[in-house]
Amino acid sequence: MDKDLLRQCLTHHGRSLLDKLKCEQTENPDFQAVVTDLSKATRESGGEKLDNPLVEQFIARKADILFCPAWRTAAAQEEKHAEEEEEEAAEPYAIMPPVELFMEVSFEERRTMLYRDLERGDIVVGRINNIREYGFFLTLLCTAGGLKRDIEDLELSALCHVKEIPSTGNHDDPLSYYQIGDFIRAAVKDIDRYQEKITVSLHQVSLSSNLEHIKLGVIPREELPIHYSRSVRAAADSSETYECILQSCHGYHNPSVVDYLLEKVGISDEHPPSMMRGLQSKLFQEEDFASVIRKKQSASWALKCVRAGVDHFKHGRHVEAMNEYNKALDIDTNNVEALVARGALYANKGSIVKAITDFELALESCPDHRNAKKYLCQTLVERGKQLEEQEKLVTAEGLYRRALSLDDLNPEAKEALHKITDTIQKSIRLREEALAKEQVKAKSGQTSAEKLRKILKEEKRMKKKRKRSASSSSSSSNTSRNSSSSSSSSASRRKSKKKKKKRRRSERGSKRHRRISSRESRRSDEGKNGKNRKGKEEEEEVEWYPAPPNTSATFLNQKGGPRFGDGEEGEEEEKDGEDRRISQLYSLSAASDDEESDSSRRERKRKDREESKAGRKKNSQSKSPGREERRSRSRERRDSWKEDNRKDRRDSNPKRRSSLEGDRNRKVSCSSADSEYSRRSSVKSEFLGNSGSASKHSESQRRRDSSRRDSLDGGRYENRGKEGEEIKRERDSVKGKAEVESSRSVERFAVNPAKKSSLPEGNPKKDLPTNLLDIFNQIAQFEKEKAGKPK
Amino acid sequence: MLSWRGFSGPGAVEGPVCLPGRRDSSGGAESEQSRDIKTHFRVCRFIMETGVKLCMRSVPVATACVLYHRFFERVSLQDYEPYLVAMSCLYLAGKVEEQHIRTRDIINVSHRYFNSSSAPLECDKEFWDLRDSVVQCELLILRQLNFHVCFEHPHKYLLHYLLSVKSLVNRHAWSRTPVTETSWALLRDCYHGAMCIRHIPQHIAIATLYLALNSYGVELPIGEKEWWKVLCEDVTKEDIDAVISDLLQLYDMEAKCI
Repeated sequence: MDKDLLRQCLTHHGRSLLDKLKCEQTENPDFQAVVTDLSKATRESGGEKLDNPLVEQFIARKADILFCPAWRTAAAQEEKHAEEEEEEAAEPYAIMPPVELFMEVSFEERRTMLYRDLERGDIVVGRINNIREYGFFLTLLCTAGGLKRDIEDLELSALCHVKEIPSTGNHDDPLSYYQIGDFIRAAVKDIDRYQEKITVSLHQVSLSSNLEHIKLGVIPREELPIHYSRSVRAAADSSETYECILQSCHGYHNPSVVDYLLEKVGISDEHPPSMMRGLQSKLFQEEDFASVIRKKQSASWALKCVRAGVDHFKHGRHVEAMNEYNKALDIDTNNVEALVARGALYANKGSIVKAITDFELALESCPDHRNAKKYLCQTLVERGKQLEEQEKLVTAEGLYRRALSLDDLNPEAKEALHKITDTIQKSIRLREEALAKEQVKAKSGQTSAEKLRKILKEEKRMKKKRKRSASSSSSSSNTSRNSSSSSSSSASRRKSKKKKKKRRRSERGSKRHRRISSRESRRSDEGKNGKNRKGKEEEEEVEWYPAPPNTSATFLNQKGGPRFGDGEEGEEEEKDGEDRRISQLYSLSAASDDEESDSSRRERKRKDREESKAGRKKNSQSKSPGREERRSRSRERRDSWKEDNRKDRRDSNPKRRSSLEGDRNRKVSCSSADSEYSRRSSVKSEFLGNSGSASKHSESQRRRDSSRRDSLDGGRYENRGKEGEEIKRERDSVKGKAEVESSRSVERFAVNPAKKSSLPEGNPKKDLPTNLLDIFNQIAQFEKEKAGKPK
Repeated sequence: MLSWRGFSGPGAVEGPVCLPGRRDSSGGAESEQSRDIKTHFRVCRFIMETGVKLCMRSVPVATACVLYHRFFERVSLQDYEPYLVAMSCLYLAGKVEEQHIRTRDIINVSHRYFNSSSAPLECDKEFWDLRDSVVQCELLILRQLNFHVCFEHPHKYLLHYLLSVKSLVNRHAWSRTPVTETSWALLRDCYHGAMCIRHIPQHIAIATLYLALNSYGVELPIGEKEWWKVLCEDVTKEDIDAVISDLLQLYDMEAKCI
């Protein structure tokens, strides 16, 4: 209990109240603690005022509330409100003249009150009535800020010493700026209550802290405080009563005046005070408030919907179940059960990404939800497998790790993580080895010039043919890559059989879509292509590139499952070099792509037709397309090396090289940002082509691209992205020959792949540089060696 | 209007207040009147409590109480279920005072008030019936009051008076004395009874301020005119005393009713 306050009250009411208090508050220990002090004080003052006994009764009964220190909530905040100036301008509430003006309080009393209540730092407004060399004198008109008193007629005078006037900088007498009759707003610096002398200052620092923003100095008449001007008017006209003025103030009619003033006086309307025992704010419990009940109710309503949804789900009515779940989430956003249930439904329906989102949301609001954890874990593994199939090994690995972090005992996630780590490492190793081999090859090739010459001839012939159809084929392949199943592109393809090589490449590029057919078609293409040269080439290639016995079959069977086994296989056959490995990976990723299966089927059909028409010898070899592919590609590579080295401008070979590079790059981009790895591949790219540095750039860029794309998620998205990339890459290298700034062109293509046709593509090879033969010899040697090793 | 099943007031301890049969059996007119007053007190307490739980501001709650008292000024307590009227008053007051309250929240809070620590209502027919009752009753109130639902409240008078009186007092003495809180509490409490419609707003404001100042023994300067006379020309000491005595009766009532 606030003893001072109680004493003040007792002084006012006298003994009778004390007796009542003693009677009413007998059980209040707080009161018992102060009662002896109080009885003394009451006796001393001895004030005996007759008052309403009912009021005293009331005070006595409610004393524990009235004098409780916690009752006073406003005091602290009240002092902070002092934006008098802005307030007056807008007048959010009625600013009234001081009441003592209407109460007609006597001159003496008002003067005493002012000297009692005026404090240092208060603001007074006065008129200069005298200027001396040591300062000027003000006749005080009114107070402003803090205290509001009617002081105009109190004949108060205040001195503003010259020291208290801020100098303007030049050394004039600061007093020269002031004239008699000026209105001055000044801060009270000192009050001598005995001598009744007031000194004021114009320095801002002499203001009390809550009034600091008010500017001191000369003010125009309009800036005189509103309460002063109103009191002047009221004093002049006795008909202007307090009520009249109140009603006429537009602040009084402010619709939110109550809220504004409540804040100003520091009362909270959320926890309103009450003297009623039953309305004490401590009696209100949080769970009885509307918002809490509503939340609870929404949750239970939502749960009901979830239950209905689960029921639907159990009976296989998935659409109805989804509707119920969505309804539940409408009622209660982020309802954990609804999210988990909907996630499970999504996962069931194969929308794994959506399922993951739902599970994650559920775990966000309820991190310990067991089912949500379990399901998320499973879904992440599932998604990881998907990604793996799409060659996003690193992303998939991350998902497995996350799954494990949710449930470190999940055997599936463990196993998957283990496998994928192996796969990644293997692929890195493979790459390294292939790289090393190629370096060796490059150094040591030197014979079989004749063979090479023949090959060259053949190539020339081919180029001529291709030249004719180059532009059309390029565009068609472009479109076919962009939109995997556009009929127009396929039609054009059918027409122009001469651009086979190119198509072959494009098919390799988009192998994902047509894992099976592409191989076949490649075979057939090759057959068509190399009718003449076939015999020789084949021999050569066979010996140089020992095909793995059954890779193709494995590829064909890939449906997303045993890709790890493939990785092992790849290890066995790592001598085959990276091309094969890459093609393998592609076919793997392709296997998971259900969406593209239609187009691939279509294509295959077409291919078959072509095949039969062409009557290739190799048609029957359906079991080992991979080998052929490899062979052809290696040939291409040879070609491209030749060309690169000679900076030849033939159109198709660079493309081959580029596609190789592209494949390699894609692999890189897919599998990791491993530094060693990337270093090596860049080394290799340098080795491979004259545009090595450029391709290094582009590679890194691609990697960035692909990582970005990875983050986008969503199978189809990725596929398309990769297609685009491939196009880019191809484009890239084509250009790379003409201009070494392929990295830039990559960007450009990324933006607009349609530009392709404008590129310098079809530059036919007119003549061979003189040193070509040497190089060919070298390469032949190299390849022989390479071929020898794996066996 | 649908019946208000499911809810039975806390007065059930004393006997169900809303059962007319029971009321008819009671004795003289005197006791009936006092019983009605007690019922009104309890219903108003319900309005105040619900208002706090709905986070309504003081003025809308005051409007709800005035709507309630004015409604039962015209009709008999026997004819209408007072708690349903109270809920509709809260709903209507929210509209009148621009602090819209949703019926769902009103029903939820009321349901919990009558069935403490019970689970929230299901979204079933009962809930919608209750909601329909509240909305129908709102229309009834509007018709009964001839659509006069805007009232002047003492709240803004009191706040302005507080500022004026504050200037009369030494600032330290004022900040030490919780006159503001006390007068605001008194003002809110006076809506427990029909006194809030019997007295004019200024008088209520002055009386609550007077009682608050008196309770703490705050001395105001004495001039030719009393401070309350200045604030409101037509108020007399008797008016103030009448308001105060009505108010003090309400505090006594609390002990008797609840």
